[in-house]
Amino acid sequence: MTEVLLEPFRLPYMQRALLEVLLLGALAGVVGVFVVLRRLAFVSDALTHTIFPGVVIAHLLDRSLLLGALAFGVLTAVLLTGIGANRRVGADAALAILLTSFFSVGVVLVSRTRTYTADLTVFLFGRVLAVDRADLLQTLALALVVLGTLWALRKELVLRAFDPEGAAAMGYRTAALDLVLNLLIALVVVAAVKAVGTVLVVALIIVPAAAARLLADRVATTTALACALGALGGWLGLAASYEVSVDHGIRLASGATIVVVLVALFGLAAAAAPLRRRVGGGGVPR
Amino acid sequence: MAAEPPAPAATPVLELRHVAVAYDRVPAVEAVDGVVAAGQSVALIGPNGAGKSTLIRAVLGLVPVVSGSVTVLGRPPQAARRQVAYVPQADTLDAEFPVSALQAVLMGRYPRVGFVRRPGAADRQAAESALAAVGLAERASARFGTLSGGQRQRVLLARAIAQEPRLLLLDEPFTGVDALSQELLLTALRRLRGAGAAVVMATHDLGLAHLACDEVCLLNRHQIGFGPIGTTLTPERLRATYGGQALELRGDGVIVARP
Repeated sequence: MTEVLLEPFRLPYMQRALLEVLLLGALAGVVGVFVVLRRLAFVSDALTHTIFPGVVIAHLLDRSLLLGALAFGVLTAVLLTGIGANRRVGADAALAILLTSFFSVGVVLVSRTRTYTADLTVFLFGRVLAVDRADLLQTLALALVVLGTLWALRKELVLRAFDPEGAAAMGYRTAALDLVLNLLIALVVVAAVKAVGTVLVVALIIVPAAAARLLADRVATTTALACALGALGGWLGLAASYEVSVDHGIRLASGATIVVVLVALFGLAAAAAPLRRRVGGGGVPR
Repeated sequence: MAAEPPAPAATPVLELRHVAVAYDRVPAVEAVDGVVAAGQSVALIGPNGAGKSTLIRAVLGLVPVVSGSVTVLGRPPQAARRQVAYVPQADTLDAEFPVSALQAVLMGRYPRVGFVRRPGAADRQAAESALAAVGLAERASARFGTLSGGQRQRVLLARAIAQEPRLLLLDEPFTGVDALSQELLLTALRRLRGAGAAVVMATHDLGLAHLACDEVCLLNRHQIGFGPIGTTLTPERLRATYGGQALELRGDGVIVARP
């Protein structure tokens, strides 16, 4: 077993891939807690799709993918907060409109390139084994920015998630807090584009946090657990895809394998949650 | 806090001058006039949709006042938020949210603590004594959602107490609350008023309005009466407030059918 879990990482490119997924898993897990507490899973899903054209445009112009993704992430976060505030449109319709229109623009743009299918696959599903030193440093820098911001605003973001009306009454600008969280989600998507692609990153954000929610009943423990589960899923998924691909000759896409492992961890958490409650961690039932 | 000079004693805590509030140009409540002094308690009485919650939101500065003026401690509502605490209805909050009772109370200290920093020993102490003031010291580490409806309402009052407000606004604080919780809420409110805070609460319950308040503001889209509870709560005004929901009892009594 140790062999399967450690052996692949003697190779430099696998070491880089491992560092990348550990970082991403931990980062996305932490951000995911705030997403899940705010019930914003659909928002982060939309963000992952709307960032796609930004990545494509940057690629076509031969500019930094990060900048392209960032520009569209910011644009979406602003548009979402703005359109969602219009009561007649509503947040869910605003999301659906943005998600589909931006994603279509991205596909239209990619379809103009000669290497259409290959490009599309990379942007949508990533290529973690191709992660280089610069990508790693970029992920690390983004992780520091995102985690630093979450740390600075943790109290206020939790209060806003728990009691939005109460937070507004205390004088907090809830729209500004919402915008910050949307931007942080966008940054996580940007960080994950190269490794897992714009589509699968939503699983990295939501699944570990949702699993942690089942097992913990404090924000701090939920966050620690989501962080650990995200990193664990990344490691196990990467090792599994290597093992199956190299030793058994069945090619498993690493990004998707990581997601499958994360969902399996979620399944275990769901199975363990009732057990934990019976042991007495959950307090007096309602 | 120390930097802000206390308002002169003569300044009322809350002053409503011909207040009208509208959502998308549709008036929600209008023609509200009244003054609330320190230590006073006012019940906002009226049927559903009468504009009670809207008026509370206006005092919090969360909805724009289209005409007239709301003044809190001599200032516009947005400038006085630090002195104002709001107690929402407990059942509007997510019962699965992973916070303990004490953590929920501690949230009342966040505006003082500020961004980045973590609550200090003084904040923790304030939260603990606020929780004790509503009789929940022993449940400090219980998850908010595992408490009963009445206990959750008490936690939210404790959060407001921890804010050390000079004006306390409550939205239906007694709805779905057991007798013990009701008693403890009333006691805690009395103590707050004794310490000089003014209280404004929206309620359906005329009996509790009598127990908790000395003034009443009767509302049904506009103000029907504002004044001492004994003289303002007349059968005529209640009929005007509740319309068909008011049933008269032999001459001078009125029963209000709950919607």
